[in-house]
Amino acid sequence: MTTTNSPDQRAQPPPARVAIVAVGIVSPLGAGLEATAAALREGRDCISPVERFSVAQCRCTTAGQVADEWLAKVLPNERKTRRLHRTARMLVLALRELLAQAPQFRPQLTVIGTTSGGMSFGERYYRALQGNERARHLAGLVANYPPQKPIVDALEICGLASPCQVIGNACATGTNALGHAFECIRAGRYERILAGGYDALSELVFVGFDSLQASTAEKCRPFDRERSGLVLGEGAALFALENLAVAEARGAQILGEITGYGISTDNHHLTQPHPSGIGPRLAMERALTSAGRAPNEIDYVNAHGTATPFNDAAEGRAISELLGAVPVSSTKAMMGHSLGAAGAIEAAITLLALRDGLLPANLNFRTPDADLALDIVANEARSAAEARVALSNSFGFGGTNASIVLEKPAARAA
Amino acid sequence: MSLFLAGLGWVTPLGNTLAGVWEKLCAGEDAIASSLGDSLGGKSCQAFSVPAEVAAQAPRHPRLRRASAISRHAVTAGLAALQDAGLELDAAQAERSALIFAISNGGVIYTKRFYDEIVKQGAQAASPLLFPETVFNAPASHLAALLGITGATYTLVGDGAVGLLALRMAEDVLASGEWERCLVVGAEEVDALTCDAYRRWRLVRDAGPIEPFAQPPRGTILSEGAGAVLLAREGELALEQVDAGGNFSRRSELADALRPIAARLTNGGSADVYIASANGTFIDAAEREVAVKFFSQAALYTPKRGLGEGVAAGGLWQTICAALALREQKVPPLSGAPDIRLTTTRRPNEKPWRRAVVTTCGMNQQVAGLTLRK
Repeated sequence: MTTTNSPDQRAQPPPARVAIVAVGIVSPLGAGLEATAAALREGRDCISPVERFSVAQCRCTTAGQVADEWLAKVLPNERKTRRLHRTARMLVLALRELLAQAPQFRPQLTVIGTTSGGMSFGERYYRALQGNERARHLAGLVANYPPQKPIVDALEICGLASPCQVIGNACATGTNALGHAFECIRAGRYERILAGGYDALSELVFVGFDSLQASTAEKCRPFDRERSGLVLGEGAALFALENLAVAEARGAQILGEITGYGISTDNHHLTQPHPSGIGPRLAMERALTSAGRAPNEIDYVNAHGTATPFNDAAEGRAISELLGAVPVSSTKAMMGHSLGAAGAIEAAITLLALRDGLLPANLNFRTPDADLALDIVANEARSAAEARVALSNSFGFGGTNASIVLEKPAARAA
Repeated sequence: MSLFLAGLGWVTPLGNTLAGVWEKLCAGEDAIASSLGDSLGGKSCQAFSVPAEVAAQAPRHPRLRRASAISRHAVTAGLAALQDAGLELDAAQAERSALIFAISNGGVIYTKRFYDEIVKQGAQAASPLLFPETVFNAPASHLAALLGITGATYTLVGDGAVGLLALRMAEDVLASGEWERCLVVGAEEVDALTCDAYRRWRLVRDAGPIEPFAQPPRGTILSEGAGAVLLAREGELALEQVDAGGNFSRRSELADALRPIAARLTNGGSADVYIASANGTFIDAAEREVAVKFFSQAALYTPKRGLGEGVAAGGLWQTICAALALREQKVPPLSGAPDIRLTTTRRPNEKPWRRAVVTTCGMNQQVAGLTLRK
């Protein structure tokens, strides 16, 4: 017997608004929101030579790296914590900053993204096997390699407990995590969600992008006519998202709102977007529709902007066709492409841009690409006190595309 | 919001037809573990593999030409679920469909090959053809391309509980109202590397069979394949609730984590069927406890002995077994298990089974449960 779901005759409650009540971040730009803001004001180039593994046979030899000294004192030097992966330490750092802003925040769900989790542990394990090591520590490497382990550990260390949805949508992951969390709260499924992304540099992934010739041997130049590829990065960013009405009722600080989310899948190719930019365009259109915003209401776009020929062409085309001459920058030139963390870190950067009225710079921009009609925030941060609504994009392997709309507090009342 | 299991599909070491595999399980047939051939750490590995003739039935498509086994298993299962639902997605339907892919060890075969080249020959030997297939969402991307899905595609990573976590995520995704249906697929491929890893965790045994609920636990054996469930807004079997559970830190804490989940799963009434994830490891004791305390009247079964520990595919295999149990009003025999004072067959003159419970305890800290209602 087939049962059909009967339509609910009662009026549906309006969708909930989703507040950002706290943010924690660690990236090559710095540890913490204010350190990040300072680096953005300066337009600081935070790319440095890679020494964590050999890059002697790679075209690219640099990356955006989180300083070891920021992570060194995150956890006590005990047997239990020594075995934790670097990403777990990044997450603890970010989570502590978040909880310092919102000590009473207790997530009902954690939605977070990563592309490689504890990959470097897997690499050490494999190398040890090749060397026929019988060391007992191999079990610890194996146990802490799975991608969900860092967030589970970080939650426990910080005294939190919630189910986890760990998304692995390649480079769109961080934005997917924020967007999915937004939709869950908006639909009334949850009131409070911890959302974000994390990733650490690993040899396998670094060499992987190099093998595709997607990495550059020189500077990362998003949207530049002479762009030649990306530089990788790492980091973690976490957002405390809460039903706005509930947050306001308890007197929580409201840093901003996520007001829209768009997701699309581009089936053109496993690693390359459709040249027309249809995938990114669909994601951005859906985000605008979700936010109830017209294209001309967007004051800034934090682009995915990896500086690969294909991504920037597709994304640039989509932005100019949909949004016209909106200010655009990719902060990947400053800090590298942090993969699963990128969407979350860049959302935090976008939030800072709205807070401080200062659009972050797109570094290393020398020559405009004549095929792309874009207003690039070139090389220096740009004052924009009137900016209230922004779009942040992330696009990844497998044709994953995600965009979110972020707004200053009370932008909706304006 | 009510959701229903509109279609089911699987690829298992016992085959890939719903009826065929189910009948084998009901006849007490177990898959046979075999040596993987490739040894690591000085020891060879046993695992349950999808038979070559079954694997060969994966559709031929340009996107699968270089894809690893995990992608092919997933595509086969996903298409079977749609076929079971009587659905062939046209462009408009594909646009309104979501896809959630549950993955645990991922494309380990290509990942190992890719990194092996780096280790032995250096970065310059790394193959650009292999790297894209190592990313977690490569299988989801192939399936989305085959189905023409242009909307929401997510890959969820986790341990053996990830299949049920993906069903929970599907509920969340469908709550937005933007999508009409969601295909949930979990897939796994076996390799000596993962066998070695689980051996270092002291979780696997050297040879079969898997002995669920044996005391002391004797270990599990890894398996491969895929499970797929199509969730829609109408159907025969309701997905009554999915409890995303939580995390446990140490194995000894699993029972504490599972107990409240089991209690919540009884909120809708007693269970007629309980499909557990007991697999010959520390999981068994925790599930034995909740079976006695919360599901004592249920017919108990775990598919791990018959199909192996399928990790990301395992939770969906369990869900499919629960659905088939309600549909067919029988469960396979729980062979080899010691007396745990629970029924494993249908009692004469028993009322029709209407409610099934599934609990999935992962081997790396995650646990979840769900109930189905007919």
